[in-house]
Order: sequence, then C-alpha cells, then structure tokens
Amino acid sequence: MTEVPASLATVYVVDDDHDLGASVARLLRRHGFAAEPFLDPAPLLAVYADVVPTCPAHCIVTDVMMGDIDGFAFADRVRVIDPGVAIIFMTAWPTTANAVDSVRRYGGLDYLEKPIDEDRLVRAVTEGVSWSIRRRSALGRTARLTARERQVFDLLVEGHPNKVVADRLGLSPKTVEDHRAAVLAKTGANGLAGLIALSR
Amino acid sequence: MVCAGATRTSVGVTTVAVPAHANGRAFANVRSGSIAPAAALLALYALGFTLLHELARAWGGAGFYSLWFPVAGWRLALLWHQGPRWTLPIALVELAIDLILGAIPLGGPDAPIAWIGAVRPVLAYGLAVWGVRRLVSRPGAAGVTLLAPPMPLALVSIAAPVLAALLTLPQALWRGDLTGVETARDVALSIAAFTVGDLLGTLLIAPPMLWVADRLSGVPRTGLPRPGSMAIVEGALVLGLAALTGEMLRWLGLGSQSAPALIGVAWIGLRFGRVPAWCALVIVCAITLPRTAGAVNTIERLQFHLGLASVVMAGYLAGSFHDAQARARAEVERRDRLLFQAERLKTLRAMSVAVIHEISQPLSTLAIEARHLHELTVDASNEVATTAALIDRKAAHLSGLVRRLRRYGGRAVDEPSPLPIATLIESVVALAKPEVQAADVTLTIAPLAPSATVMAQEIELSQALVNLIRNAAQACGKGGEILLTVDAQEEAVCIAMSNKCARTAAPSAGMGVGVLVARAIVEAHGGTLSLLRAEDMVRAVISLPAIGTAA
Repeated sequence: MTEVPASLATVYVVDDDHDLGASVARLLRRHGFAAEPFLDPAPLLAVYADVVPTCPAHCIVTDVMMGDIDGFAFADRVRVIDPGVAIIFMTAWPTTANAVDSVRRYGGLDYLEKPIDEDRLVRAVTEGVSWSIRRRSALGRTARLTARERQVFDLLVEGHPNKVVADRLGLSPKTVEDHRAAVLAKTGANGLAGLIALSR
Repeated sequence: MVCAGATRTSVGVTTVAVPAHANGRAFANVRSGSIAPAAALLALYALGFTLLHELARAWGGAGFYSLWFPVAGWRLALLWHQGPRWTLPIALVELAIDLILGAIPLGGPDAPIAWIGAVRPVLAYGLAVWGVRRLVSRPGAAGVTLLAPPMPLALVSIAAPVLAALLTLPQALWRGDLTGVETARDVALSIAAFTVGDLLGTLLIAPPMLWVADRLSGVPRTGLPRPGSMAIVEGALVLGLAALTGEMLRWLGLGSQSAPALIGVAWIGLRFGRVPAWCALVIVCAITLPRTAGAVNTIERLQFHLGLASVVMAGYLAGSFHDAQARARAEVERRDRLLFQAERLKTLRAMSVAVIHEISQPLSTLAIEARHLHELTVDASNEVATTAALIDRKAAHLSGLVRRLRRYGGRAVDEPSPLPIATLIESVVALAKPEVQAADVTLTIAPLAPSATVMAQEIELSQALVNLIRNAAQACGKGGEILLTVDAQEEAVCIAMSNKCARTAAPSAGMGVGVLVARAIVEAHGGTLSLLRAEDMVRAVISLPAIGTAA
C-alpha cells in the first residue's frame, strides 16, 4: 500500500475547549495534515454529511466529555455516515472501562490521556490516515458488487469453501463459482487472500 | 515472616509500635535469659511472703489460716505482672518457706499431702491468671467493655481466690483430719474463710503492687488521677455518712452491718474510678480490720469478714467498671476523630481529582504550544532559545506529573496483581521526588533484588510508601537523608525506610493520618508495618508476603 502524502489527509479535531482544539489542529498542520478544529460535534456532523461524497476526512480526533453529544455518541453517528474514517479519542477523565469501550465498541484507533502525549498523537493520526485510505479503497472496490455477489463475498471471506457457501445461500456450486469469478474480477483481487484483505 | 529490622532494636532505639491490646502493659513478659533479676525478684517475693504470712496469723482460726490474707495479693501481683509461667518458681519458693518456718512437716506419712496443700493455691492462681489472659486475648474480646482494662485484673482478683478455695475441697473431704476439718460445717467454714481472706488480700494488695511494678519497669502510664477538691469532699462525705450509719446501727444493737459501707464505696467507685475506690477501701479496712484481730468469736468474725469482702469486691468492681467505661469512651472519641479525618480526606480527594481535571485541560494546550515554541526558537538568540526550552521542559514535566497524579487520585479500583518491587519503588520515587526535593531532603535507594514480587494493588501500596516517605521527609526538614532498602527473603519482602536528620527539626503539622493509612493498607495486603524511633532517626519497616519471582 502506497503512503499518501499527509497534506492530502484531512483531520478534524473536536474539543469543547477552543484553545486546545486549535492548538491540536495547528500541531497536526505542522506535521503536514490538513487539520481543522471544531468546538462542537453537531456542526461537524452537518459539514461532514455534505462533504462525504467529495472530500471525506481521514481521521477525527475527538474529546470524550463534551456538551450535548459526547465523543462516543458522536463516533457512532459518524460511523453511520462514513465507515472509512479513523477515530481517535482524547480525554481528561481517563478510565479503564472507557479505554476498552473506545476501542472495542466505538472502533477507536487510540485513547489518549490529557495532557496529550504529542508523539503518540502524531503516530496515531498517521496510522489512522493510512488505515482510512486503505479502508476507503477496499470499500470502493467492493462497492460495485451486486447484492448476491456481496453475500457470496461475505461468506467467502469468513473462510467458507464454495460448497458451504452454495449450501447456505441455496445455490448450486456452479453458480457460486460464477459469482466468485465476478467478485474477483470486479474487485481486482488475485485470490481469496486478496478478498480477505479487502474485508478488513 | 519476620523482617530483621522490625525485631532487632539497635542501641538507643525503642519500639513504639505498642501492641494492639492496650492492656499489654500489664502483661510485661518474662525477660528470658536474665537470671539475676528474676532471682532478685523471687527473693523479694520470699521476704514479702514471710512478713505478710506472719501478719495474717492475727486473723487465724481453727480450720483456716486467716480471714485476711495479704499474701494472696502479693502472689497475684507477681503472677499477673510476670505471667503464668512464673507459677512453678513461686510455688517452689512458697513451699521452701513453709518448710523452713515449720508450717508443714518435712517428713512423715502425711508430708506429701501437706506439700501439695502448700503449692495448690499457687497453682490455682496461675491457672486463673492464664484463664483470664486467654479470655482477654481472644479475638473479639477487644470490643467488650467488661473485658476492657482494668476489668481483667478485677476479674482475676476475684476468680483466683474462689478457684483456690474450691480446689481445697477434695482434700477437705478426703483427709479433713489433717487440717482439723471434720464436719460439713467445718468444710463450709474453711472454704468461706479461705475465700474471704484471699479476696481481701488480692483486692487490697495486688493493685498498688502492680502500680509500683509498672512504675519501676518504666511502663508509660498516665499516673494517678488527680481528683478535684470537690471530688475529695464528696468522697469524704459519702464515706463519713456510711461510717456514721454503720456505727449507729451497731450502737442500736443491730450488729455490724456492711450495707452502708458497701453503698459508700460503690458510689465512690462508680463516680471516681478505681484508685479512689481503692483508697476508700483501704480506709474502711484500716478502721475495721483491727477490730477483728485477735480473739473474737469465729462465726462473728467470719460474718464480719464476709461483709467486708462484699464491700471490697463491690467497690473494686465499681471502680474498675468506671475506668473501663472511661477507656471505652476515649476509644469512641478517638474513632470519631479518625472518621472525621477520613471524611476530610475524602473531600480533599474529590477536590484534587477536580483540580487535576481542570489543570489538565489548559496544560494540554500549554504543553503543545511550549514545545512548538521550543522548536521554533532553536535557532533564535541564545536567551530566547534557553527560555523557550525551559518553558517546554517544565510544561512537559508538569504534564507527566498530572498524568501520574490522576492515576493516583482517580477512581481506579484495581485488582491485586503480581507486582515487582522494583516497579513499585520506581513509581513511588517518581511520585515522592518533587516533595522530597522541595523539603531539601536526599532520598537514596539501595540496590534492589529485581526478582522480588508481591501480590498487591499497586496504587494503594504506592500510597502507603509515599505517605511514609513524606512523613520521613517532613520530620527531617533541610539536609535530612532518607534511605530506602528492600530485603527480599523467601517468604517476605521487607521494605525499610529510615531517615537521618541533620538536626532536630520542628515537626511540620500534618493531619497525622499518613501512618494510619499506610498501616491499614499494608495490613490489608497481609503484611505488617512497624516503626522504630530513636532520637535522630525513624525507621519504618513494611513486611509483605512474597509470592516468588514474577512470571
């Protein structure tokens, strides 16, 4: 996977402390990211919904404790709009339970404690951007699959052989073979390993 | 598990970790290995025994030795002070004196029985002392007012004579002829007289003897209470009224009645405690005992002494109860104070968590900007670059500190887990260092065994150690030195902390709960904390059960 220049990567920073949000955004800009601070998740959601087709963010760095929408609820809503964005949480009230939830339930990439460890933040954002780019490309390649091909794809990447897939979907093994060939052709993957990589 | 430093007391170091039983003072142990003082004590005992034995002869009668037997108190005092292990030596001393004085035959067919009769009371007393001590040291006895000091002494003072008297029963029934006890009436008279004589002896003689013994052996005591003048007037009035009433009853031909005196001393005991009650009893006995010395009708005398014994018992128990209650009240007050302090700590903790949060937010911004400024000014003039670098360093340091503090004061409830001592010491030193440096104290860590591991809640245990280091630093002030050593043994890990102060510094005002908290934490981990205090040094030793090497 080729690295995308950081300047092409959009990062949104959400924190209800204006100074901190701005500071983190400037820090990220210094490291070459196109970073933008937001005081409140609500306007970001609105903006985000508008720009998704054209200019989606690669990474969102968000505070956990905020006014109306907390960081976790915000992450849930963003995921619905854009499954290809990396989310990093930061908090001044770290707890073990939240740290686990942030990664397991809300798909966070990292959970940073304030005062922020700068190097760790930059590392996390860099990682998030490249994850997002990979994810988007994978999503793009599987977007053209038909509903049936999608079903076959989902079962194949779980490791089921053609026979089991045919059985599950009530198709003949021959039809499954055809769908499989179509999936490989559309996604450009060269075998099952490539398909599995796309599903991650 | 024993830590060397916890038990070994070097020269000039005294143990201040008083055992949890406050009555431990009365239970001073036999100083094993020192024969000369023990021999001197036994010689003194022999002398007192002989004199008091002769004194008691004046209240003697047929079938019993005396109705007022001070030897009993003398014996009980020694046994209570030195422990039941002294039973045998005391028995041997008494037997020897009885033989020398000719009180019992040296030979003859009945000599063994007489010998047994001579040592039997000592054995009974030893048994009573052992029993009462067992009762008091049972877990769960600590909270019982009836067993709070000085009640145990009062209990043994009554139990020992009764037990000794009851143990004479087999011989009285089997070979009563030896002591002139033939009929059932004689047996009853003998036992009653025995009990009364010993009771008067234990209750009147043992308490002052023990007080003197404690004073001589340097056990810290509060000393005698100093009653106010009103108390003395009230006591004198009550006693005078009781004596007047008693005399009036006698004058009216109604016999020697003990009830007025009993009410009087019980009043004094309940109102003022054990020592005033004992003084009142001595006065009562000093007035009444001479009357029954010499030739008086045995029955009349027995009756009189039984009454006197009731008076003494009631007075002594009332006084002891008053003291025990006072002690219990003081204990409740102490707990209230601790509770109050715990509340205060809770508030402080909530406050500090809030403060940490409030600080961490702006500090985040500050640290980021400071670092940026530092990077920007690397090539600026030396002055600017130095200043920016300094600001950056301080902001970074503060950030690290806030992170650590948060972990420390936050609501982290962690499970006990294997914790290498080296890790523990490292985090403790990081936490305590700023404070220690601020106090201008040097903290030295001796090289540690890397493998030592304990099962612990890291945050709690760190707090215990930090508390102790903080205390050590505060106690010393400028120029002090703190040495931290870890000694890993097979079963225990000993963490010792000692401070050496450059000069005597005025102790700073803390809340005084640091050590309490540390002790509670260490004990919750199944360990012990002991403090050894010397003039210019305090040594705290934590001993924790080791769990072997870390996996």
